[in-house]
Amino acid sequence: MIMGPIGSDAALLEKLAVFGTPVESRKSAGWVMKNCCLGLIFVLFPAGLWASDDFVSVVSASAVTVAAGKPGTASLRFRVQNGYHINSNHPKSDLLIPTRLKLNPPTDIGVGSVTYPAGRNISLSFAPTEKLNVYSGDFNVNAVVSAVRGASPGHYAVHGELAYQACDDRACYPPKKLPVSIAVTVVKSRIAGTRQLNPGQSPHIHN
Amino acid sequence: MRRNGLLLVAVTLAVALLIYAGVRLSRLPRDTDSMFSQKAVAVGSVAPDFELTSLEGKSLKLSDFRGRAVLVNFWATWCGPCKIEMPWFVELNQKYGPQGLTILGIAMDDSGQAAIAKFAKEMRVNYPILLGKEKVGDAYGGVPGLPTTFYIDRNGKVQDRVVGIVGRSEIETQIKKALASVPATTASDATDGDDHGTNRQ
Repeated sequence: MIMGPIGSDAALLEKLAVFGTPVESRKSAGWVMKNCCLGLIFVLFPAGLWASDDFVSVVSASAVTVAAGKPGTASLRFRVQNGYHINSNHPKSDLLIPTRLKLNPPTDIGVGSVTYPAGRNISLSFAPTEKLNVYSGDFNVNAVVSAVRGASPGHYAVHGELAYQACDDRACYPPKKLPVSIAVTVVKSRIAGTRQLNPGQSPHIHN
Repeated sequence: MRRNGLLLVAVTLAVALLIYAGVRLSRLPRDTDSMFSQKAVAVGSVAPDFELTSLEGKSLKLSDFRGRAVLVNFWATWCGPCKIEMPWFVELNQKYGPQGLTILGIAMDDSGQAAIAKFAKEMRVNYPILLGKEKVGDAYGGVPGLPTTFYIDRNGKVQDRVVGIVGRSEIETQIKKALASVPATTASDATDGDDHGTNRQ
């Protein structure tokens, strides 16, 4: 039921690139057979991941490295299946179920603000005058993660779930929860407050 | 040998890409009937009876309406398409209720009775709204999406089942068909009557 990270199309093409190598440069039919099988595995494996009843999957969850007492930003990328949409974090009606990320950090790790992207306003054929605010395709949710002062250096996992409710242009589907996990590495702080670790990965650090 | 290898590569690639495309396409919105589980009540079979509580606190059974055409509509307050259908059901209930139609709305909601009642009032619903239970949803195939509507004829048999919103005219056509069904008891009475008539002759 739960999907792991899905290979992107680009990654898939990269995997398929093995077939782009001139066959002339290969030495045996055995090599061809072996690579055909490998190619099939590469092609079918991501396809198998798609064969799930979930409407949303985790594309990636960035690992975060933080110094004790300092925050960092984790970015989670989600993908809504083709043909479906989910309500944004701010749907246009109180009756609609918003998309929400809930994280349950372990001791020594804190979770700050969670930032959602703006949704896209759409109208569906069954109600052309009614506007919905939705996510479709890929979207990112960022969460500020921090390690408490005195946290032991090491690897931590912040588990949580993305609660969402999907619809297509004819029907809506029961609310679902997609498990997520963020890898957090806590390192020793060199001089507290003087250096932010991994700044490239955390462009929105709030001190 | 080299040519055979190339051919093998091409065929393997083609097959793999077909499977890949097939799987991706299968994730697009599906044919609604295929969305029901195999355990779902089939068209032509007797609709599972249920007993649910209405917003007014009354206990209603599906079997209470045997002899009438029944439209069972699974819905929820968070379901946009359901909201569009409801005014149609209100009109159709007014129009066909006197002819033997009963509409039952089953709220598959976690938002609580008060929220459902408020929503139903705002939508001016004029048919019973029942508080759904997972067990009832399961008996009807797990209710794969909302709205899901079952059209039940006067004999209590499922005439059709539809996931998702359809046009008002399609709903009305189904209602007319369900109303046109002849209750078994009536048919039996009519046959009995004929027999009596024959005997009298």
